[in-house]
Amino acid sequence: MSSQLTGRGFAATLFEDRMKILIWHCGRIAGVVLAMTCSLSIAVRAGGAGFGDDDDNSEEEGPSYFGFVRDTGGATVPDAKVTVGIKNRGGVVTRTDALGTYKVPGFGKDVDPKDVEVACDKLGYKQLRVVRRSSPSTDPKIPIETECTLQRI
Amino acid sequence: MRGRVISVVMGGAFAAFVTIAALSGRSVAQSPFGDPNAEPAPFNPQMAALMSMLIQPRHAKLGLAGKAENWPLAGYALKELKQGFVVAARAVPRWKGLPVPDLFDAAVTQPITLLDFAIKLRYRRQFDEAYESLTKGCNACHATTDHAFVVIKVPDASAFPDQEFEPKR
Repeated sequence: MSSQLTGRGFAATLFEDRMKILIWHCGRIAGVVLAMTCSLSIAVRAGGAGFGDDDDNSEEEGPSYFGFVRDTGGATVPDAKVTVGIKNRGGVVTRTDALGTYKVPGFGKDVDPKDVEVACDKLGYKQLRVVRRSSPSTDPKIPIETECTLQRI
Repeated sequence: MRGRVISVVMGGAFAAFVTIAALSGRSVAQSPFGDPNAEPAPFNPQMAALMSMLIQPRHAKLGLAGKAENWPLAGYALKELKQGFVVAARAVPRWKGLPVPDLFDAAVTQPITLLDFAIKLRYRRQFDEAYESLTKGCNACHATTDHAFVVIKVPDASAFPDQEFEPKR
C-alpha cells in the first residue's frame, strides 16, 4: 500500500482515528462513572456518606419532652410557664403555645428520664397534678409525654 | 475498518442498553407507573396528603357554605370535616412523634362544637366567630408541629367552580 494517501483514504484514516479517540474517551468516562457509582454505593451502604441532617443529634440525645397544660375542665392553657428540670441539676423553662403544648428537646444520654420532672404555673392558677403518660413504644423519636393540670385559685 | 468501528460502536450501544434495562429491574414494555397485573398496594397517604385531601377542601367548603348561609350544606361539610379529622388521626396516630388525636382535639374540638350549634341555630354571626376560631386552631396546630408557614384563612373565593354554594330559593 502506498504511503501517499488519496483524498478518500485520508478521510477514512481520519475517521478511524477520531473513532478510536471517541471510543477511548467513552471508555474512560464509563470507567470513571462506574468507579464513582461503586464507591458511592459502598459508602452509602456502610453509612459513611449519608445525606441526613447535619443537625440531627438524636443519637447523642435522650428523648424529648412534650405535653399539654390543661385546666380542671380539660381545656388547654396557652402561655403557661413550664419547667422541665433534672433532679438536683436545674432545668429548662418554657411556655405553652397557642394550643397549650410545650416541647423541650432531649437532654444528654447520661440523663435518666426518671430524674426529669415537669412543673407548670400560671398567674391565677396553681398546679393540681402532673401525670406522665406511659408509651408502649421504645422509639426514641417519641417524646416523653407529661400532662400538667392547673386549677384556678 | 470503518465497518468494524461502526459494528463495535453499535455493539457497545446495544450492550449498554441491555445493561440499563437489566439494572432498572423491569422489562422494556412495562409502564414506569408499575405493573397493571400487580396486587393493589395498600394506600397509606401521609399527613400532608391527608390534609390536602380530607381537611383543607372541607374547611373551605364549610366556610363557603356558611358565608352563603346554606345551612344544610354547612352541616354536611362540618360532618365531613369531622370525619376527615377522625380518618387522618387513625391513619397517622403519631406525626414526628407527636400524638395526632390529642393535637386535633386541642385544636378543633371546641370550635367544631360551636359551629355545630351555629349551624343548627342558623346563626350567621356565631358561625363566623366559630369558623374563625376553627381556622385559628388549624394554624395553632401547624405552629405546634413546626409548620407555621402553612397558614389557613377564611376563604375569600370558591376553589370549586362546579359547585353551587348558594342555597336553593
